[in-house]
Amino acid sequence: MGIEGSSFGKRQLRRLAFLANVVVACVLLAWVAVPRAEPRLFPERIPVRFWHMWSGEWKIVIDKIVMRFNASQNRYEVVALSVPGGSADQKFLMAVTGGDPPDVMAQWNQVIPAWAESGLLVPLDTLMQPAEWAELQRSAYPVALKIGSYAGHLYGLTTGINVFACYYRPEHLEAVGAQAFPDSLEGLMALADRLTRFDDAHRITRMGFMPAGFNMYAPIFGGGFFMDGRLSLNTPRNLRALTFLSESRQKYGFENVLKFESSLNTGGFATEWPFISGQYSVAVDGQWRVEQLAKYAPELRYQTAPIPAPQGGKPLAGFSNGNFMIIPKGARQVAGAYEFIKFWSGVDNPERAAEFYTWGGWLPLSPRITRTAPYQAYVRKYPQFETFLDMLSSENIQPTPPVPFQVLLTDRIIRAEEGAIRGSVSPLQAISTLEADVAREIARRKSFGL
Amino acid sequence: MKRSYLGYWFISPWLVGFLALTVLPFFISIYLSFCRYDVVSPPVFIGVQNYAELFSNDPLFWKSLQNTLLYAVFAVPLGIATAFGLALLLNLELRGMSVYRTLFFLPHIVPTVATSVVFMWILNPQIGLMNSVLGLLGVAGPAWLSDPRWAMRTLVLMSLWGVGGSVITYLAGLKDIPISLYEAARSDGAGAFARALHITLPMMTPVIFFNLIMGIIGAFQYFTQAYIMTQGGPQDSTLFYALYLFYRSWRYLDMGYASAMAWILFVVVTLTTLVVFKTHRKWVHYGD
Amino acid sequence: MTPHSSSQPGALGRAGLHLVLLLLAIPYVLPLIWMLSTALKEDSQIFPREGSAQSALALSNLIPNPLAWHNFPDAMATVPFVTYLRNTLLLCFINVLGAVLSSAVVAYGFARLRFRGREFLFMLMIATMALPGQVTMIPTFALYSKLGWYGTFLPLTVPAFFGVPFFVFLMRQFFLTLPLELSEAARIEGATEWQILWRIVLPLSKPVLATCALFQFLGTWNDFFGPLLYINDPEKYTLAYGLQQFMSSYGGKWGQLMAASTLFILPIIVLFFAAQKTFIQGIATTGSKA
Repeated sequence: MGIEGSSFGKRQLRRLAFLANVVVACVLLAWVAVPRAEPRLFPERIPVRFWHMWSGEWKIVIDKIVMRFNASQNRYEVVALSVPGGSADQKFLMAVTGGDPPDVMAQWNQVIPAWAESGLLVPLDTLMQPAEWAELQRSAYPVALKIGSYAGHLYGLTTGINVFACYYRPEHLEAVGAQAFPDSLEGLMALADRLTRFDDAHRITRMGFMPAGFNMYAPIFGGGFFMDGRLSLNTPRNLRALTFLSESRQKYGFENVLKFESSLNTGGFATEWPFISGQYSVAVDGQWRVEQLAKYAPELRYQTAPIPAPQGGKPLAGFSNGNFMIIPKGARQVAGAYEFIKFWSGVDNPERAAEFYTWGGWLPLSPRITRTAPYQAYVRKYPQFETFLDMLSSENIQPTPPVPFQVLLTDRIIRAEEGAIRGSVSPLQAISTLEADVAREIARRKSFGL
Repeated sequence: MKRSYLGYWFISPWLVGFLALTVLPFFISIYLSFCRYDVVSPPVFIGVQNYAELFSNDPLFWKSLQNTLLYAVFAVPLGIATAFGLALLLNLELRGMSVYRTLFFLPHIVPTVATSVVFMWILNPQIGLMNSVLGLLGVAGPAWLSDPRWAMRTLVLMSLWGVGGSVITYLAGLKDIPISLYEAARSDGAGAFARALHITLPMMTPVIFFNLIMGIIGAFQYFTQAYIMTQGGPQDSTLFYALYLFYRSWRYLDMGYASAMAWILFVVVTLTTLVVFKTHRKWVHYGD
Repeated sequence: MTPHSSSQPGALGRAGLHLVLLLLAIPYVLPLIWMLSTALKEDSQIFPREGSAQSALALSNLIPNPLAWHNFPDAMATVPFVTYLRNTLLLCFINVLGAVLSSAVVAYGFARLRFRGREFLFMLMIATMALPGQVTMIPTFALYSKLGWYGTFLPLTVPAFFGVPFFVFLMRQFFLTLPLELSEAARIEGATEWQILWRIVLPLSKPVLATCALFQFLGTWNDFFGPLLYINDPEKYTLAYGLQQFMSSYGGKWGQLMAASTLFILPIIVLFFAAQKTFIQGIATTGSKA
């Protein structure tokens, strides 16, 4: 091998040089030939930059709403940008720090308390007329305001509330001789045992019903993480809920359930739901599945019912979250952004907004919207939707506690559940660890003067 | 003396970049590590509180450090052995060797984001390819990534998939061993094994050393796979240091705390690297 | 087991070697084959239906039937593929140029010129490789924002022009192996160091330059974090970012996702295959004086 460079395959280098030329040629060609990806439709209007995290079949709905807004007036043009969900929060923060935030963003992550506390968000109530704000407080579903509020201000206006209930397959129930959907959680668990199927190797092939979600079942057992204005983690009722989640798995074998669950598609789109493929006879999910089932599995026979309460528990209970719109401090078009939010959420015109809610199968901000003709027509079309509307006005549905360390709290709640439902720690240990972790965080924040 | 200034001119691009993009942010981050800072509002000085909290009061900090060390202790030596072994094989003269080299190198250039998703599928306990193959052999495979006892081992095993990069460095090193050395040994009657032990191995120690250092640095910064595949779970069994740092900074908006963590990491990595450097005169052989 | 060994293995030995290499290659290639196989499957072939724990994913079902070629055009229709490709190639081109040239100049300084503190500075440069990127990320971001670079390609390209430590390291090692006589001769004839670098050293260093170019190309091609942080305009997104977007949003469309991934890695595979020999040559850290 000579140092003169002659013996390093000259051909190789020539090939590389050729590839480099191809790259340059491609760039030049593409620059000339490719039109702009998304040209502005109304370049003369004031642009309102709107970020959201929807994609695929959902993005189509969002684009439709944006189009409607742009057609409804001639001052603003909302320009939508779909940001990958996994990194959207980070991108948002960077954009705010970089001095170039969007004007409005649709969110569903637990961001309001932390971002509000950091002074990142414009309090939406300050943009409203006092009468408008009073009216909203009076008319909105309580949970909608809970989701969007922090420390006495409204930072996010919900454009869709999610509540969760049971979807079940009547023919599965009939096949095991069940007459009606059970009216107690204990009854449901007994039914689930009869519905569950195994293969020869004792692997689960169909799950009758498997409860999951500490934040879902704590309220159902009459507990919850936020009572009387403060965190309440290690309580007897919460412990009962966690023990229930753990024992439900233990009877089939922790490992066995885990393996079954990891074999299921967890995508958010309609056709990816294991309930459709029949792997669950009873599954808990949000109201948007009604719309999805109608669209993508119209032949499927199913019914809905609230998760039944256990002995000593609460009916129409569970977890709730939602989609909400925020305006970051530093947004250039606060007025335009708020116009868009109003338009979508239906604060000023329930009749018009009702239609948007039905497109996504979303639960509305206030009963004023629920009562509109278009929304009522929708509920008549999908009677299964009514279960969710019933739950919406329930006092027993709880969103994530409004503490500024919401994300950490949620992470630790998930870890506690993870430990308990794998059988690696007892529910009591899991809940004590959770309480200690959170107490430590609170102490730390206090020592900063927060 | 004129020359001495010329040298600075030549390295000036790096020097400028170093001062602006490394030293400056570096010192700012030292300052931030003594602050509470949520990225958006101005930092507030709080003294050594972040450090005190980390060392005395944060079990996850210790857990993540322990996980990272565990990973480094297994993944780095295994990676070196695997890569070296593959390089020895790939250095043989055989038709179609360039195809084999490409095959082994491919995983290295495929973006981790893409491969992590593929691996999640392959390692799926119930419907994945891996357990399906093991099932043919009559072995019931574990729940690779969702079992806290297996998740770390799985990530270590997976790291061997991407050794292609270091295989190339070994191959390059092997090519550089002068043939004359082998010829001399052969005429002295040394067998193939003796030649490997007394010529190949010592001559390769600089490359092994290089890979050891890069491996340690890489292991301490291990992040992407855990972020995509396990998010630190199950039960914090794959909560790596860099991952926890990321959570602290971007999920919990605790930049001051995260800066302190980054600083501790930097010190740990530097110390480890220094210790390895100290030993290198004992075992690294520089030719000529 | 000796390189350049004069003793060739016999026919039997060669067959055995092929067998060993093939067996070893299986775990390295299978995931990629699986990626391709899934890219050609309908969603119904990917997931098990009710009543079966065994899945279509099992080994027996590796070959898709029927072939769902439509995943490829579908994936390309979902994102503005050509726009992303154009941006990616542009960034790759600028970064390769910047990184290779600046690193060569710096490496020459470290390899061939004497100045006070040279060893120290070199070690310092190596040490920066150990610095976790997280440490400097926030201040760096703030710096770029202050400069008004947020939302432009500048934060993604300018740093490459400051020399890349790893490349400087590789190039320095390579330059050290080049004989001093040539440059001494040139120096006597009155050539400046700059001229020696351009006319003598660089022409002899094509393999290491090509290697660094390839590394930089791969790095830029795969970089998704940079565009994520700094780019706000879909017109400026890159392929890696597009793929990430695809992943977090098309979570369940596995066929399309794998088709997108396949499209994403195909150019790199071609590139590496074409340049494989130069690549290995270039990495040679000590160089042969035989």
